[in-house]
Amino acid sequence: MLPLKKALTSSLGKKYLMAASGIALVGFLVTHLAANLLLYLPEGELYNGYAKALHDWGPLLIVAELGLGGLFLFHAAVATGLHMKTAAARQKGYLEGQRSKGGNSRFGFPANKMIWSGGILFAFLVLHIIHFRFGPGIAEGYEAMVNGESARDLHRLVAEEFRKAHIALPYAAVMLFLGAHLRHGFWSWLQSLGAMAPKYDKIIYSLGLLVALAFALGFLGIPFWYLLDVPGMLK
Amino acid sequence: MATKSFVLKVWRQDGPDSPGTVEDLTEYAKDVNEHASFLEMLDLINERLMADGKRPIEFDSDCREGICGQCGCVVNGQAHGSQRGTTVCQLHMRSFEDGQTIVVEPFRATAFPVIKDLVVDRSAFDKIQQAGGYVSVPTGPKPDANSFKIGKEVSDRAFDAAACIGCGACVAACPNASASLFTGAKITQFALMPQGAPERKRRVSRMVETMDDLGFGHCSNIGECEAACPKEISLESIAIMKREYLKAMLAGS
Amino acid sequence: MSIVLDSGEPAGPLADKWDAFKDQMKLVSPANKRKHTILVVGTGLAGASAAATLAELGYHVKAFCIQDSPRRAHSIAAQGGINSTKNYPYDGDSVYRLFYDTIKGGDYRSRESNVHRLAQLSANIIDQCVAQGVPFAREYGGELATRSFGGAQVSRTFYAKGQTGQQLLLGAYGALNRQIDAGRVEMFERREMLDLVKVDGKARGIITRDLVTGKLEKHAGHAVLLCTGGYGRVYFLSTNAFNSNGTAAWRCHKRGALFANPCYVQIHPTCIPASGDYQSKLTLMSESLRNDGRVWVPKKHEDAEAIRNGSKTAKDIEPQDRDYYLETKYPSFGNLVPRDVASRNAKTVCDDGRGVNITGRAVFLDFETAIERDGEDAIRDRYGNLFHMYEKITGDNPYKVPMKIYPATHYTMGGLWVDYSLMTNIPGLFALGEANFSDHGANRLGASALMQGLADGYFVIPHTLGNYLATHKPAAIDESHPEFETVQQEVQDDIDSFLESHQSGSTTVIDVYRRLGQVMYDRVGMARTADGLRSAIADIRKLREEFENDVKVPQNTDFNKYLEVAFRARDFLEMAELLARDALEREESAGGHFREEHQTEDGEARRNDDDFAYVAAWEWKGDGEEHELHKEQLVFENVKLVQRSYK
Repeated sequence: MLPLKKALTSSLGKKYLMAASGIALVGFLVTHLAANLLLYLPEGELYNGYAKALHDWGPLLIVAELGLGGLFLFHAAVATGLHMKTAAARQKGYLEGQRSKGGNSRFGFPANKMIWSGGILFAFLVLHIIHFRFGPGIAEGYEAMVNGESARDLHRLVAEEFRKAHIALPYAAVMLFLGAHLRHGFWSWLQSLGAMAPKYDKIIYSLGLLVALAFALGFLGIPFWYLLDVPGMLK
Repeated sequence: MATKSFVLKVWRQDGPDSPGTVEDLTEYAKDVNEHASFLEMLDLINERLMADGKRPIEFDSDCREGICGQCGCVVNGQAHGSQRGTTVCQLHMRSFEDGQTIVVEPFRATAFPVIKDLVVDRSAFDKIQQAGGYVSVPTGPKPDANSFKIGKEVSDRAFDAAACIGCGACVAACPNASASLFTGAKITQFALMPQGAPERKRRVSRMVETMDDLGFGHCSNIGECEAACPKEISLESIAIMKREYLKAMLAGS
Repeated sequence: MSIVLDSGEPAGPLADKWDAFKDQMKLVSPANKRKHTILVVGTGLAGASAAATLAELGYHVKAFCIQDSPRRAHSIAAQGGINSTKNYPYDGDSVYRLFYDTIKGGDYRSRESNVHRLAQLSANIIDQCVAQGVPFAREYGGELATRSFGGAQVSRTFYAKGQTGQQLLLGAYGALNRQIDAGRVEMFERREMLDLVKVDGKARGIITRDLVTGKLEKHAGHAVLLCTGGYGRVYFLSTNAFNSNGTAAWRCHKRGALFANPCYVQIHPTCIPASGDYQSKLTLMSESLRNDGRVWVPKKHEDAEAIRNGSKTAKDIEPQDRDYYLETKYPSFGNLVPRDVASRNAKTVCDDGRGVNITGRAVFLDFETAIERDGEDAIRDRYGNLFHMYEKITGDNPYKVPMKIYPATHYTMGGLWVDYSLMTNIPGLFALGEANFSDHGANRLGASALMQGLADGYFVIPHTLGNYLATHKPAAIDESHPEFETVQQEVQDDIDSFLESHQSGSTTVIDVYRRLGQVMYDRVGMARTADGLRSAIADIRKLREEFENDVKVPQNTDFNKYLEVAFRARDFLEMAELLARDALEREESAGGHFREEHQTEDGEARRNDDDFAYVAAWEWKGDGEEHELHKEQLVFENVKLVQRSYK
């Protein structure tokens, strides 16, 4: 009747894929943010310990990382496909732009420009991985002791990097786009799966704002934390 | 009776393949009765244009009471103008300020090619309906009408979805030019009513496939369609369509 | 050749006629059906339901509409509901009762057999539409809701909020779409039928104009079904849609189809009045408003004048200075008198100079008493959507100030003459729905238009058309038949010469057309006199002359809305004269036709059953010639003719 392949390549099916991969990525963000909250501690022991524990997974970590990377790429690729078709769906825009008619419309940057915020996040991600995942390690002197064992001192790396305004500020800015992306995405994934009903609409949409703020502020606070030297490490 | 004058700019396009341009018709938009509807204002402009030997503005309209769905254009960046729950034929000039700039242009979507000026070809909508917007019953003896018991709440919800007038404002207002609200409305009507049940999977599969093939964009859940819909059809229709499609997908063959 | 008007109804008792017809009719075999092409012009309730049903039966159907989609047809705007004899409320309704009410409501000017069939089929329509998924209003228990409509004593009207026509049409549109999808209907949108092609005296095809490209097209078929609605736009302002027109019917008339009872026009009392010369249409407000609204105008002319010029409002008029004229004149029915009576009285008080809007043509419909009695919430509950619509259009809040209303042309009972099979006097040319004259006599009851359109399309034509095809066996021809080229050339020449002679002029189509409407409202409207009709005919001729000589029309031959309107207006200028002529000839008052010379002492319509119980069917005799009148005598064997009274 409706073959799976045909269903999943339709505009609705692609949105199911976007919703599913999106929510999985939010799951990753939860763990990432939870770990990053450790960066608010002046001492790096717990954070570096977490990093080391991950590192100790060995080959399993590579598999996990590849899986995660694949998920990001998948989410981005499906989004790009959808966007290309949509761009073709309206080749000529309105003369003086469009204005929303209000009501429950989510018309605005977060909803209209998921492809932009997503694109910025994607570009950021590449730099972010180069910056930290493949950044300086033990060999370059970033070594810390965790439970008596040698580990990479990521905490110090982060702290040092975020003391540089030209790194901290762009990082913080990108987190605003993350907030925007989640602001729409958190509500959108339920609607895309047909799981929304008007009576939950306001609650879920409000919850989306909380989630977006939590992630955006949680991540965004870290660069400022060090830029403004809140822990007082330089004193 | 109060009259108003406007700075009027109208999209003029001779045919589907002509480039089209904005024409300033301010000199024809003086002393318009404020109780005229937006289309009656265009009627008046046309009378003046013709008196001047110029080609009148072509625009679609029929019932002029907001139910046939034939009229529709974008006024100052908003499908059917700024008022909610209103078609452009029900929009009146008293809702505009004297001297206000009014920019009028056609609904824009690749699936709605411009025929002339403000007239667009919305036959894509008919094609979506042809793919399944019905219950497949022939004419003839049928079970007594009351043998279908449908609760009032369900029936009212089905009616609300069925109230779609097929004007195309949802597509015009959607930043993605998606036809999801239009398609979802019909799917919702039959998803809620028992008459629609036997062919629900086939209906949603075929209508979605047709909608995609015709070059509409996807739904990214912005909801501007609902805001622009003159019949205020709920975004829930799209959720129901997605649910129906998911069910059809999971049911397999 | 003299024309004999034979209804062709089967003999026998009234209640058995339709079954007798079906038992005796000839059938077309399934294999032969697909060899027959049926041309369906118009896709409203009648056209869409006919096209869908015939295609399902196996005929090859070509359907045409002037709008951009079949879903736009003006049936969509019907608000109130659809009558049916289901008798769910168990309040005493029956087929006979609906038949009787319809005959009586039509002031005994319709054919018994057709009306009885309509009443019989009304129950099937509801079953059919529910099976299609039409979301009718329902009760909490899940059964269908009904209401009493237009003063009927039984609750037989099914409805879908105030959008019944829309839901029924979308049901028929769905059925049509299913056939288009199956390849059994070819749909032609944005096409206007401009002529009928006859071969050997039979209707064998049509010439259409593609309204986008302006090109003419030939379409051959074995039968032509006109489902093109009424001619209410002859009044320019009406509740009809902007594109509604009488051109297809009129062109068929000029090819020999008789036009019956053109003077029977329904003017609906509760419409939003015209407020200026920019007005393009009038909007109907459901007549249910009269259940709670009180109709009045000021007693004193100076008060009316003060309201018109804005120095006073309705609130400033003291109760003793208000003339609740319907309540005074008709104590037992009051504001609920039938449509024609309410309309006529509104005209009378406005003619007397007591109208209350800027044009002097409006009366108040006041809810103050009802709001005081029941509270604003109760009124909102009943009429909220109507009040909202009124405020949207007029900018006035009817909870605070009285509504202003005035009658507007709404429905035309007259139309092409058809027999029991819905066939005109041209073999193979059928007329369905409002386009024919058959079921409503001189006045249509509320909620009966939808019923007739669907009965004709779903249930009558599938049988009668088959019978015609099987009996007459029209030969197979296609568009290459020379007659198609001849007729197309005639239409093309007409368009070319029309454009050429209208390159310049001091006025526009709309201007002349609007003035035609004014003549029609004033003198061929709610109340008519012999002198008024004669002067109207003279003025219509003058307007026709002015139209021919002094109207400028945009010259492009592709998409050109004003060219379309010009052709329709030109036909209306001819039709208007026939309408006035028919009204002049009919020396009686009946239903929507009120001759001031023929009224009772109480000012009520007085029929003349001895001399005028006939259908007036007019034959076109050529340009500049007088129409010839043919009469079909109406025979009433099942009802007794009585005079209406609403005192």
